[in-house]
Amino acid sequence: MPSYKLTYFNGRGRAEVSRLIFAVAGEKFEDVRYEMDQWPAHKAEMPLGQIPVLEVDGVKLPQSAAIARFLAKQFHLAGKDNFEQAKVDAVVDTIDDSFKGFVPTRFEKDEAKKEELTKKYFGEELPKHLQNLETLGKLYGNGGHFFVGNQLTWADLLFYTFAQAWIGVEADCLNNFSWLKKNRAEVEKQPKIAEYLKNRPQTQF
Amino acid sequence: MPSYKLYYFNVRSRAEVSRLIFAAAGEKYEDVRYEQDEWPAHKDEMPLGQIPVLEVDGVKLPQSRTIARYLAKQFHLAGKDNFEQAKVDAVVDTIYDLLNAFATPFFEKDEAKKEELTKKFLSEELPKHLQNFETLGKLYGNGGHFFVDNQLTWADLLFYNYIQSFMEFKADCLNNFPWLQQNRAEVEKQPKIAEYLKNRPNLQF
Repeated sequence: MPSYKLTYFNGRGRAEVSRLIFAVAGEKFEDVRYEMDQWPAHKAEMPLGQIPVLEVDGVKLPQSAAIARFLAKQFHLAGKDNFEQAKVDAVVDTIDDSFKGFVPTRFEKDEAKKEELTKKYFGEELPKHLQNLETLGKLYGNGGHFFVGNQLTWADLLFYTFAQAWIGVEADCLNNFSWLKKNRAEVEKQPKIAEYLKNRPQTQF
Repeated sequence: MPSYKLYYFNVRSRAEVSRLIFAAAGEKYEDVRYEQDEWPAHKDEMPLGQIPVLEVDGVKLPQSRTIARYLAKQFHLAGKDNFEQAKVDAVVDTIYDLLNAFATPFFEKDEAKKEELTKKFLSEELPKHLQNFETLGKLYGNGGHFFVDNQLTWADLLFYNYIQSFMEFKADCLNNFPWLQQNRAEVEKQPKIAEYLKNRPNLQF
């Protein structure tokens, strides 16, 4: 087995899906977490000056989605053949589309503008994307509660972690999406995930 | 072999990388192109009401990035093992970061502001992204001209396609990036690609 080292901030953010993949797979890795003031000293060590980065036997890999997909494939959480992996990737891209509009609402400094952007995102933008995700879950899920092929894949883990960020701002954002709520409940019930969620550091983001 | 049908508008944009993959692989597919006024009648046929969509033996797959990765894997243009595929994915994600960054000036409605933002983007931001591409090419390219492991992958095809659009805005944007210029030249030289480029419809974008 290769040696794995995951480097990120001390938060869930864009690395948490990979930590969930390691947890589900029961695989070991070095979980390096930088506080905000530690990061500048390490920026130049990373290929694109960004984190997360996964180091595999000493070779660095940037880009959170590429990292997660690689780990999912290594640990059989990516879909069982090329076409199933493509369905998983399509769900992942759609989750990513959903999350894009969320980031500016978090970083807006003007309080009044932030409130307006947040209201627009949760009221208009996010529901459309959530509807798309339910559509894909019903199209690819083979009648089950997971997004693809009635089996847990990293698409379920990614949705789980990003939705947590949305719920942190707007607790009832999934109220009209019972399939998605059921999907998250199924993820939480997996024994290795339940164990991981119980023990992981509680962080701000 | 499955039957492939690719649905998109009659432009290059988000479907062209997939058309380049089919061409490089010498594989057949149905290349469905909708004019703007035809599209509304077909929108509801697509899972997310968007195109491109790839139909594989009658099952529809949305999301351009996912479609391209799936086809690349089918035709051995994605990288030879999980880790190489991850390096290819990292390059691809870095290219999409550039496209996402360009969306802000590109979609700006105020003409004067758009001109200012575009000018700033092309002179300040674009070079930073191009530097990132050279970094990854030199890190993963094994001393060759292609992004990963001295072999053509869909990362090279994606880069080739999108830089063509940037060069229409700023013809000399690769002047300080000889590695990237050489990479595009290598792609164009591939016989099946040269043939495809000569014969494809001449479109604005």
